[in-house]
Amino acid sequence: MEIVQPKAARASRALARVTLACALAAHGVRAAEPSVLTVPRLAQFETLDPQRGFGQTEDQVLRQVYSTLLTYAYLERPYKLEPDLLEAMPTLAPDKVTYTFRLRQHVRFVDCPCFPGGKGRELTSDDVLYSLKRYADGNVNAKSWFAMQGAVAGLDDYHAATLKAGPAADLTATDVAGLRKVDDHTFTIRLTHENPLFLHVLAMAPTAIVPREAVRFYQDRFQVNPVGTGPFRATQALDRKATMRLVRNPDYYRTYPAVGAPGDAEAGLLKDAGKRLPLVDVLEMPLIEEAQPAALMFLRGGLDWRPMDRAWFTKMVVRGPGGTFRLRDEYAGRFSVYGVPGLETEYLLLNLRDPVLGGNQLLRQALAAAVDPQAMLDVLFNGRGHRLQSLVPFDLPGNERETGDVARAHDVAAARRLLAQAGFPGGKGLAPLTISFFETNAATHDEFDLLKSQFAAIGVQVKGRFMDQPTFTKAAENGNFQLASYGWEADYPDPEDFYQLLYSRNVPPGNNWTGFANAAYDKAYEASRFMANGPGRLAQLRTMNALIQDEVPMVVLYDPLKFGITQGWVGNFKHSLLVQEPMFLSVDMARKRRGVQ
Amino acid sequence: MGAYIVRRLLQAVPTVFGVALLTFLLFNAFGPDPVRTALGNHATPEAMANLRHQWGLDQSLPLQFLDFLRQIATFDYGKSFVTGDDLGTQLKAGALVSLSVTMPPFVFGGIVNVAIALFITRHRDGVVDKAARALFIAAMSVSALVYVLALQYLLAFKLDWFPINGYEGGWAAVKYLGLPWLIQLLLLMGPDIRLYRTLFLADINADWVRTARSKGAGEGRVLFRHVLPNAWIPIITQNVTTIPFLILGSFLMERFFSIPGIGNLTIDALSRGDLPILKAVTVLGAMALVAFNLLNDLLYALADPRVRLS
Repeated sequence: MEIVQPKAARASRALARVTLACALAAHGVRAAEPSVLTVPRLAQFETLDPQRGFGQTEDQVLRQVYSTLLTYAYLERPYKLEPDLLEAMPTLAPDKVTYTFRLRQHVRFVDCPCFPGGKGRELTSDDVLYSLKRYADGNVNAKSWFAMQGAVAGLDDYHAATLKAGPAADLTATDVAGLRKVDDHTFTIRLTHENPLFLHVLAMAPTAIVPREAVRFYQDRFQVNPVGTGPFRATQALDRKATMRLVRNPDYYRTYPAVGAPGDAEAGLLKDAGKRLPLVDVLEMPLIEEAQPAALMFLRGGLDWRPMDRAWFTKMVVRGPGGTFRLRDEYAGRFSVYGVPGLETEYLLLNLRDPVLGGNQLLRQALAAAVDPQAMLDVLFNGRGHRLQSLVPFDLPGNERETGDVARAHDVAAARRLLAQAGFPGGKGLAPLTISFFETNAATHDEFDLLKSQFAAIGVQVKGRFMDQPTFTKAAENGNFQLASYGWEADYPDPEDFYQLLYSRNVPPGNNWTGFANAAYDKAYEASRFMANGPGRLAQLRTMNALIQDEVPMVVLYDPLKFGITQGWVGNFKHSLLVQEPMFLSVDMARKRRGVQ
Repeated sequence: MGAYIVRRLLQAVPTVFGVALLTFLLFNAFGPDPVRTALGNHATPEAMANLRHQWGLDQSLPLQFLDFLRQIATFDYGKSFVTGDDLGTQLKAGALVSLSVTMPPFVFGGIVNVAIALFITRHRDGVVDKAARALFIAAMSVSALVYVLALQYLLAFKLDWFPINGYEGGWAAVKYLGLPWLIQLLLLMGPDIRLYRTLFLADINADWVRTARSKGAGEGRVLFRHVLPNAWIPIITQNVTTIPFLILGSFLMERFFSIPGIGNLTIDALSRGDLPILKAVTVLGAMALVAFNLLNDLLYALADPRVRLS
């Protein structure tokens, strides 16, 4: 029932509200209206149990509500590890395998009925050790265990014991030799061997710290009831399909970074340095899986950010002089567009176990010279990407700018010559080769058509074989392919993650699908694997790249740029492929109100 | 009639068994490995074996099929492989949402389309009829996706008559369902009206119609009293057999308007290799088809006194 108030009373209250707002504004007090940031989820998450989930969709939400021991600097490039739940970076003992970690003081889990009195408690070393053991539990974590497998003393045995005990058993009270509590805020992790890459695992969402009470309290429903220490918190169970509304965690401990990359200060990205995070009160995340509604919602002001697909990129962006991209005039004043190199490398795999390709190095070299990666970028991606000269993407240590690597040039004449030397002049006598793809969509068919024309230019006929991802993976692992179009996205920002793709010991079920086994390559890989970045490591990377050029187990193609667009009222935006941006972003609500149609 | 229903239900058992067997064989022979799909490329062989065991996929195929039959008999399809959510709850919620998307335009469209078809039949071979035929043929030759994209852009984005995207439960859903309803109404118009017009025209010069006219009945009375009742059986057939598909939802609408119905659930299950959902939706769809076919036959007897169920 509506209660009708006298006009005078309503006017008086309205006046009081205006007066209060003016007073608050005058004293710099946060206005009553919450600042709201709206970013779309592009797919349904499977689970918000950090240890069970492993994927970009999960990562987008998990990072808002949970914290990890380490994270990556928001602004600095190349990507750099920094403490998150820790007071400082862990220290390495003289034995080179024992790290000591010191937790921040007074970090609290958000309030939850799972805690006594519903009040969140302080995070301690016990929570970290519990979470790491839960991460290693084979019944809980089947997806990301690979990242820590073999790394921590005693943890593999623990993993095996959990599998043997079954999902009903809780072995987290079991002692693990490599995990030691020193006090409530200090613990150590002892590795099986020297391994600086290990720290990257502690920045992955599956190693986020969870409280034992919440896991026990919610059981199966823990996956939609996050209880963490992240910048935001859920006020109710989260629905995979509905708009997710998270509110600021008032106890969040981090502040906006004071250090950025060159140019960040000039771009205004350091103006909020030192402010408590997050900078907005509410984070809304609607699920919008199709490109058109997301684009229309964005144009209306209903979304503050969205990644840009190929079709909308063409509509909204033009390529300027020098290969730069800018928004068309009608959008230029309202939005900001960005394009950053991805952390991925696209390539063609050549199966060395194949009777035609495996024994004929000249044929493989001819195929490599026939491929024109720049044309692929121009035709398939509107020029949005970098033609790579080495296996490592652009924004990672050990990339081509550091190593000086140069890939085999696209050269049709040289390709024809090599093909003739391989025993197939003009392609005569060579049966059509098959290129396998892991998708069946129109873009994949476009890619095939382009490759077909490039190979046809030297007289090589090819057929396409289009599969879904699991079928493709199975075929690739079984060596049931000749050429295959594939790519690799960094699990962690280190070149090792890319060079392991051709390490001979990584044969399936590992990731070396080509069957490439080269002693010199293995030697360089093993030497560089745990080496600190520097000239010595770069030399090893150069060796491996040279061998890839010569032996051609793969043809490195390109690193596509990731494009996105933000509203003009969003501040501090710098797209990161390893850090979720929302907690760093500010929203000018007055401008947003005016901008939303 | 009771004996007829019992007999038809018993006849449905081998049909559902056949569908179950076919579904099971197809998913096992040609479907992607759900364990590989769920765990991705990084999973260790032990992890894959463990999950295969947890999901009962390490049992022999006959045992797995028997388990599938038990699920069908008890309507307990267990839990989603991917999310672990109870499928009964998910399917029930999804079916209700899907029905809220598809049923109103189906019912309203059915009434309106019959009325329009009668009107066109009344003006057969005239300008109205010719223009309507041309319009509907043109409309039917346009893909449903184009309707969705164009109307979402025009009516929701440009004219702001509807929300672009979104969904809320309860009565608040009406706000978000307006545009999907309108699009479905437009999509149904062409094929339905053309079908109904053809049905009406088939009887328009029948002996009993000419007799009615010779007795002085007006064209309106002829259409409503003598033509329409004779077209009920094919109209019932067409509409009742559509109902199971309404429950299964409209994938396009659900996808483009972010509506959490069965259509969306099924497509997500397909992309994630969530076999329990796919098997449940396939078999429940088949069972609904069998049930509504039976309902169809029962309605024949009501619509046409000459039909005897025996």
